Amino acid sequence: MKQNPPSLRGLAYASMFGALTAAGAFMMIPLPPVPITMQTFFVSLAGALLGGYLGAMSQAVYILLGVIGLPVFAGGKAGFGVLLGPTGGYLVGFVVGAYVIGRLTAARERPGFWWLIAAMTVGHVFIYALGIGQLAVVAKLNLTKALAIGLLPTIPGGMLKIVMAALVCLKVREHVKL
Amino acid sequence: MTDRLFPAAAPVVSPLRNVDPRVKIAAAVSLSILVFQAGPGQIVLLSLFLALLIVLSGGRRRDVVRILKPIALFAVLLFFLHALFTPGREVLRLPLLPAVTHEGLAQGGTVAWQFAALVVTGGLLTLTTLPSELVAALDKLLRPLRIFRVPTQDLAVMAAMALRFAPTFLEEYQRMKTARLARGGGAPGERLSRKLRTTGRMAIALILGALRRAEELAAAMEARGYARGPRTSMRELRLTRGDYAAVAVMASFTGLFFACRLFM
Repeated sequence: MKQNPPSLRGLAYASMFGALTAAGAFMMIPLPPVPITMQTFFVSLAGALLGGYLGAMSQAVYILLGVIGLPVFAGGKAGFGVLLGPTGGYLVGFVVGAYVIGRLTAARERPGFWWLIAAMTVGHVFIYALGIGQLAVVAKLNLTKALAIGLLPTIPGGMLKIVMAALVCLKVREHVKL
Repeated sequence: MTDRLFPAAAPVVSPLRNVDPRVKIAAAVSLSILVFQAGPGQIVLLSLFLALLIVLSGGRRRDVVRILKPIALFAVLLFFLHALFTPGREVLRLPLLPAVTHEGLAQGGTVAWQFAALVVTGGLLTLTTLPSELVAALDKLLRPLRIFRVPTQDLAVMAAMALRFAPTFLEEYQRMKTARLARGGGAPGERLSRKLRTTGRMAIALILGALRRAEELAAAMEARGYARGPRTSMRELRLTRGDYAAVAVMASFTGLFFACRLFM
């Protein structure tokens, strides 16, 4: 499937996941003390369900929606400037992360729960590496500070979202007919 | 609620409405970059320019309010976060709270302004441009990326599909939440594990709905003879004299912006 160009149905799937990631900016997981948005949840799922190429396409579509002015970036922001701003690295990371998750998931015939968890965790390492890298450069923070702001507060929520994404993936993957 | 988050093009005749969508996207991109570069002086300049654009957009006040309302609370929150937690010269001390600092006020003001300016810029674009025009323009603007073998035509069509369905998904999610409330779920004091399980179930329902819609959409497109590859457009984009004028205005404003930076 990697070599053939994706079918129209595949492209439609990827668009839907782009739209879901966009809508995910307004969906909250009720986690005390601060509720978290479901965006990276959909990034994981896009990669795991659609594979690397389409997963990356879905996130590129998400970024395009934000660039043309829909308030779908974290906290209701929009516009190309956000991509160059302090949190822009995470957005680029979504594309790379979805690709990595997709490739790792596709490496197994029928990946189980733990394989999915591992794939998504590796994908998130890429998301955070790009995100924190740009945060440190743009906001002129040193690496420790950037890690403290950009990584530590999101670890519990991030792990929770990975587990949820893996469970949901197992439930719905039979319905994805690429 | 969804139309507040995704403002649709208003059917008013206005100067901005007639500008070529490619020019408008390019202008919105450059403005959103300028927003992050602005110092105190340029904030005034940029705010005036945005106000001018709002007037040119045929801006009715309620459109602007509609764009800003959903983010207002967040912007205020952001302002107070910075005002309270930035170290610096103390201005005001309230009981039980960290001191408000001079630096904090300045930084909070800047951040809240950046936030509002970004949202207004994006809102101006979507308020004055039809989605079909946006997609046609994206198709053209992304074309240079083809040398990196990015499938730009596919991306433009996919953005059109996503543009159509993002509000739908949000609406479905809201409907599920309301339905849950109506059935007595989500009461205060509910256990966290239960809340999480419900969120997971809602996600599954949402995704299955999305997959079904994708299949129907793909089948409908195939039935209408959609083929990938080079496509013609119902509205051919053509740059007119007015568009060049708009480019000139934007370019001279950018020039003024950076001139200000040098001399202020």
